[in-house]
Amino acid sequence: MSRSSSLGRWVPAIAIPALIVTGALVVPLQASASSDLPDQTPRQLLEFAASANVPALSGTIDQTSNLGLPDLSALGSVAGGAGGSGSSGSGGTGLSSVIDLATGSHTARVFLDGGNARVQVMDHLAERDVIRTADSAWFYSSGDQTAVHVALPAHDGTGDTARTAPDGTWTPQVLAEKFLSEADVSTSVTVGEDTTVAGRSAYTLVLTPKDTATLIASVTIAIDSETGLPLSVAVDAGADSPALEVAFSQLTIGAPDAALFDFTPPAGTTVTEQALPTKAEIQAKKDGSQKDGSQKDGATRNGAEASGKSAASAAEQPTVIGTGWATIVSVPASAVPAEMLTSPLLDTLTQPVDGGRVFSTAVANVLLTTDGRVFAGSVPVDALLAAAAGR
Amino acid sequence: MTQPADAELAIETRELTKRFGSQTAVNSVDLAVPLGSVFGFLGPNGSGKTTSIRMMLGLIAPTSGSVRILGRESPADLAGILPRVGALVEGPAFAPFLTGSQNLARLDSADPLASTRTRSARVAAALDRVGLAHAAGKKVHAYSLGMKQRLGLANTFLMPRELLVLDEPTNGLDPQGTREVRNLVRSLADEGTTVFVSSHLLAEIEQMCTHAAVMSAGRLVAQGTLDELRSVGIARVELTTPDVGAACAVLATLGLLPEAYVADAAHLVTAPLTGDRRPAAHEMVAALVAAGVRVDSFVIQESSLEDRFVALTGEGFEIVQ
Amino acid sequence: MSAAPPRRLGLALLGTEICVLFQRKRTWAMLLALAAVPVLIAIAVRISSSPRPGRGPAFLDQVSQNGLFVAVTGLVVAIPLFLPLTVGVVAGDTIAGEASNGMLRYLLIAPAGRVRLLWVKYVAAAVFCVAATLTVVIAGLLIGLILFPVGDVTLLSGDTITVAEAIPRFLAIAAYVTVSLLGLSAIGLFFSTLTDVPVGAMAATIVLAVVSQILGALPQLDWLHPWLFSTYWLGFTDILRQPVSWESFGDNALLQGGYILVFGALAYGRFLTKDILS
Ligand SMILES: Nc1ncnc2c1ncn2[C@@H]1O[C@H](COP(=O)(O)OP(=O)(O)OP(=O)(O)O)[C@@H](O)[C@H]1O
Ligand SMILES: [Mg+2]
Repeated sequence: MSRSSSLGRWVPAIAIPALIVTGALVVPLQASASSDLPDQTPRQLLEFAASANVPALSGTIDQTSNLGLPDLSALGSVAGGAGGSGSSGSGGTGLSSVIDLATGSHTARVFLDGGNARVQVMDHLAERDVIRTADSAWFYSSGDQTAVHVALPAHDGTGDTARTAPDGTWTPQVLAEKFLSEADVSTSVTVGEDTTVAGRSAYTLVLTPKDTATLIASVTIAIDSETGLPLSVAVDAGADSPALEVAFSQLTIGAPDAALFDFTPPAGTTVTEQALPTKAEIQAKKDGSQKDGSQKDGATRNGAEASGKSAASAAEQPTVIGTGWATIVSVPASAVPAEMLTSPLLDTLTQPVDGGRVFSTAVANVLLTTDGRVFAGSVPVDALLAAAAGR
Repeated sequence: MTQPADAELAIETRELTKRFGSQTAVNSVDLAVPLGSVFGFLGPNGSGKTTSIRMMLGLIAPTSGSVRILGRESPADLAGILPRVGALVEGPAFAPFLTGSQNLARLDSADPLASTRTRSARVAAALDRVGLAHAAGKKVHAYSLGMKQRLGLANTFLMPRELLVLDEPTNGLDPQGTREVRNLVRSLADEGTTVFVSSHLLAEIEQMCTHAAVMSAGRLVAQGTLDELRSVGIARVELTTPDVGAACAVLATLGLLPEAYVADAAHLVTAPLTGDRRPAAHEMVAALVAAGVRVDSFVIQESSLEDRFVALTGEGFEIVQ
Repeated sequence: MSAAPPRRLGLALLGTEICVLFQRKRTWAMLLALAAVPVLIAIAVRISSSPRPGRGPAFLDQVSQNGLFVAVTGLVVAIPLFLPLTVGVVAGDTIAGEASNGMLRYLLIAPAGRVRLLWVKYVAAAVFCVAATLTVVIAGLLIGLILFPVGDVTLLSGDTITVAEAIPRFLAIAAYVTVSLLGLSAIGLFFSTLTDVPVGAMAATIVLAVVSQILGALPQLDWLHPWLFSTYWLGFTDILRQPVSWESFGDNALLQGGYILVFGALAYGRFLTKDILS
C-alpha cells in the first residue's frame, strides 16, 4: 500500500516533463501544419505576390544561417570590435560583418510606413539601427555610440521606380509572366504546401534549379495569403534544415508609431555626416559601368575563353562563367583586395585544396587559387577547380 | 493479553516494521496504547523507540505494517491526526537565530487549525507553563540544553491535544525540571490526555505511568499495565541470622528453596517466592521463631521494573545490532 | 496523503517564513553584498576617467553621462554570478536548512503539511529573488543619483526618453530579472529536498548556474541553448529598446515556468516520499 502510494507521488514529476517535451515537439508541428487555402497556380501566386501592397507594417524578422561554417562569432566580434573602435565604426569591417551574418542567427525588427522605414538589428546588449525618411537616412550603432547621417535629395515624386517598366507600368500580370518566362529556362516553379508563418497562413512558392550542377536544392518563399507579402525565404542546400532562412516571426500590418521615424542621435554620440555623390559623379560612374557591361557581355558568352585571355583585355574586371544557378564568378588576381588575402581569418576559414584554398559553405564555394585569382559560385569545389584550370 | 477494541486505543500499530538497508530497526511491533493512559515506552539505546515514534507521526514511511492514531490511519490521514497530537521527537530543535517565542509562533503558524488572533497569548501561556516566561525574548542559540528541552515541551502545549508523544522528555532537565515534567504529565493525564512517553529512566516511568511497553533490538518484548509487568517478576524473602543452617531447614519445610550466603559477619539466607510457593510473611516468621532461629532482619523483596527490564533486555551493556 | 487540509493555503505560515527569512543576518549580508555591486561600479567610474565605448561591461560607458545606468550596469555584472550565488544560498537552504537543524520534523508535525511547506518555502525564495533584484536596482539608482548627473535616458535604439518614462522600464527590468531567477530557485528547492546538508544543496545550485552559462557560451551546443535556464538572463536589455521588445520577456517567462513545473514536480515527488530522519 505504502509502496504504491509513494510511487503515485512521483506521477507529476514524470508527467510534467513528458507533457513539456510532447508540447515542445508537437506545437511547432501544428504551428507549421498546412492551413487549407484555395489552390493556386504558380502564375496566380506570382501575380498575387506582385500585386502586394503593404505600405505600413511592423514585424520581427529572424535570420538563421546553417552554412556549415565553424561558428566564429567570438573571433568575428574580436575582429569587429577592433575594427569598430579603430576605423569608421559604421558596423565593423567588411569581412567580420560578413562572417557575422553568415554564421549564427540574427533578429531584426522592421517598421515601415510609406516612404519611412526603420530596421533594428537586435544584437546582444546592443542594437544597430537604420532609419530612412524622405529626406535623410541615419545609421546608428549603440555598441560604439556612433551615428552616420546621409541627407537625401527630396523625392522627385515618380514613386517606386522598380515598379515602372520602360514602356509603361509593370502590372502584376506582366511581372509574373516575365518572371516565369525568364525563370523557365533554369528553374521549375511550383506551388508547395500551404504553411503558417508568424501566425499567418501562407502559400509557398518553390523554386527548384533544373541544373544539378548547383549546390542549391531549392528556394522556398512563403507568401501571405491575405496580402501577398513574402513572409519567409528559405534556401535549401539538401541538409535537414535550410542553409539560409529569413522569416517574419511576428508581423502586424498597420502604421507603427510615427515617432519611430523621428530620429535624433542621443547626446554623446559621434556623428559623421556623409554626402551623397553628386549627379555628375553618378553619371561618370554610369558611363564607366556601361563600358564594362559590354565587355562583360562578351565574357559571359564565351566565358572560358574570356577568363583565359583575361590578363590582356579585362584585367581588372570579374568575369562570369556559365549561366543560371551554376554561374561561376571569376576575379583576376589584380582585382582581389589585399586585405582579404592577408586577413588572419583566412587560415581559419579556408581549407587547402590542390591548387589553392577553399572557403566552403553549404550554398556556395569560393576558391582562392595559388596565383591569387578568386572563383566563386553555388557549385561544388570541383567545378571551381575546373574553371580555374580553364577547362 | 486481550486486545481492546479500536475505539479505546490512542495508538495501535500492527506488525509495524522499518528496515534501514539490511538492518531492521523496528521489527513487527504490535503496540496498543489505551486512551487516557500514561504509557511508558521503554528500551535500551538503539532499540527502535524513536524510529517507531517517527513512523507514528508520519515522518518516515513504514517498510510494512500499519499505524492507527486516535482511530485514524497514518500516514493516510495525517492531516486529520497531527493537529490533535503534540510531540517531542528525539530532543528539541529550533531555529537558533530566533527567540523562544518567535520559534513557537512560527511552529504555531504552521498549524492550519491554530488561530492567528490568539497566537501570542497561547505562546506566552505555553512558555509560562514550562517556566520559560523570562527567557521568551532570548535567542535560542543562547538557551541551555534544559531550556531547549522545556521549549520543546512548550511547543506541545500550544494547542489542546488529545495525545502527547514525548520522546525522552526529561533528557537534560534539572531535578526541578524533571519533577515539573512529571507533574505536568500527571495533570495532563487527569485532564484526559493520553501521554506516550519514551524513556530509559525506569524510576521515572514507574512513578508516572499506568502502562508500559518494552522494546529490545527492534522487537516489542512486553507490554501491559505496570502491575501486569511487575507481577511477572519474582519476589524473594531475605533474612539475616547467625543460625544459617536452622533457618534454611525451616524455610525448606515451608516448601521454599533457600540459599545461604556466609560472608564475614553477615549471614544472609534468601529464597524466591514463586506463585504457588508463597507462604505469608507471618507464617514464615512464626515458624522461624518456633524453631528458635535468631532473626536479625526479615524482608520480603518485591520484584522491581528494573529486574523485569534487565530480564527482558539482557544484562549486556553493548548495543545490540 | 500528508497534504494540508484545504481550509487554509498556509498564508500565515508564508508570512512567518518571509519574516524568518528577513530576520536572518545572512539574508541581510547577502543583500548588502548585492548592493555593493552597483556602488563599487559607480565609485570606480567616478574616480577613473570615463571609459571608452565598447570597453568593460555593457552600459558602463553610459554611466558617467547618466547615473541611472549604474542600475543597469549593476544588473549586467550581478546576473552571471552574484545573483545566482545569493539565490542558490536561499533556495538550497529551503528544506535542507530546516532538516539540518532538526526543525523540519517539528514543522511537519505542527503540521505544516509537506505540500504546503514546499510551496511556502518556494514562494519565500521567490520573494528573496524580488528583494535581491530590487536591491541591485535601487542601490544602483541611488548611488547614480548621488555621484552622476541624471537626465534623459538613451535607449539601445538611440532614442531618448525622460526619467519619468524610464522608471517603469527599470521596474520592468527588475521584474524580468526576478523572473529569470525563478527557475534557478526551483532547481535549488529540488536539490534542497535531496539532502540534509544545506551547503551541499547551495553549492550544487550555484555550480549548476555557472555550468548552464558555460554551456550557453559553447557554440557547439546551440541545440541545447534554448533549453538552458540562463539563456535569456541578459535579455532584459530588450526592455531598453524602442519600442520595448517583450518577446524575450515572454520566452523567458515560459522557460522559467517550465523549469518551475519540472523541478517543482521533482521536488514534490522527492519530498513527499522522503523519510525525515534528521
Ligand atoms: N537513519 C538511519 N539509518 C540507519 N539506521 C538507523 C537510522 N536511524 C536509526 N537507525 C537504527 O535504528 C535502530 C533504532 O534506532 P532508534 O533511534 O529508534 O533507537 P532508540 O530506541 O530511539 O534509541 P535511544 O534510546 O538511543 O534514543 C538503531 O540501531 C539505529 O542504529
Ligand atoms: Mg531515541
